[in-house]
Amino acid sequence: MSAAKRVQQWATFARTWHIFDCKWQDPYQSANVIKKYLMGLHKPIYHPMNDCGDVVVCINSREIALRGDEWRKRAYFHHTGYPGGASWTLAWELHNKDPTMIIKKAVYKSMKGNLQRRHTMERLFIYPGEEIPDDVMQNVSNQIRQQRLVPQRLDHIPEDEVQQYPKVMEYPSDYVLK
Amino acid sequence: MVFLSVVNFIRCRGPDEIWRKRKIFKIASHFIGRRRNCYSVAVRNVHRALVYGSKARYLKKDDMKNLWDTRITAACEQHNITAYTLREGLDRANIMLDRKSLSDLASWEPRTFESLAAVAKEKLRLDGFIDTTDKNEPTGRDLDLSNIFLNGLKETK
Repeated sequence: MSAAKRVQQWATFARTWHIFDCKWQDPYQSANVIKKYLMGLHKPIYHPMNDCGDVVVCINSREIALRGDEWRKRAYFHHTGYPGGASWTLAWELHNKDPTMIIKKAVYKSMKGNLQRRHTMERLFIYPGEEIPDDVMQNVSNQIRQQRLVPQRLDHIPEDEVQQYPKVMEYPSDYVLK
Repeated sequence: MVFLSVVNFIRCRGPDEIWRKRKIFKIASHFIGRRRNCYSVAVRNVHRALVYGSKARYLKKDDMKNLWDTRITAACEQHNITAYTLREGLDRANIMLDRKSLSDLASWEPRTFESLAAVAKEKLRLDGFIDTTDKNEPTGRDLDLSNIFLNGLKETK
């Protein structure tokens, strides 16, 4: 092995596949994280002209969480190009139509508009549920840490765990719960 | 050419007009269309291009600084330390490396950069410095620094 080949590190330029679980995550905050991996901003060899971005697979995009009453207030604008062709779609309507669209638009908007943006978006895969095609799943080798803890829903706690939880008091047998 | 009246001297710009224009045309040689062929259009665009060139000398430095910062931030993330903490630790440890050197080390000598991150962390731990940006103890790689000469770090700034 020659001296120059000894330090050649092909893995530096390899494309890594990351997986990101969108469950209960704010799409606009997680877009900034996803963007970092898509553009290769997490590598010390980053350069805008250097094609060092990774592939990100988003799962559970149907389970995203928007803050406040953004589901009802946030509107997505579209114009057909014809007079009177403007339309505003509310976030919940868009989510019902296509559960991957909100996260896709959030990532798209988080990146600067240049010629590279659409090619970078090609490296983003979004799936509404947990089912991923096998040819995608076999490449995944890293998981991106979620921004927020996923809380457990009260009605999803197992029954025996609820029974064993210490109580302050027992309700009287004739007490009527409101 | 002989002018008998003074008025005609105003029109006359001397015999070296072609050389005066040639200087402008040479700068405009890579422009397209009338911007390189017609003097009156070319000279305006050359002036504008020169102004852009002057401004770009500063912008280029800014761009490089942003690029180095991006690279250092990326490298710091790998070692679980913020770029601010690294900078603070290295400054206190009297390791005066600029952005360019740090980003070069991050990409070409990752082990050196890892050691620098560990040194920065150790220095901040010795100083009892708490990062005010995230109100946390300095994080970073836990390398075994026991065999390394760190006596200089013990003196607080």
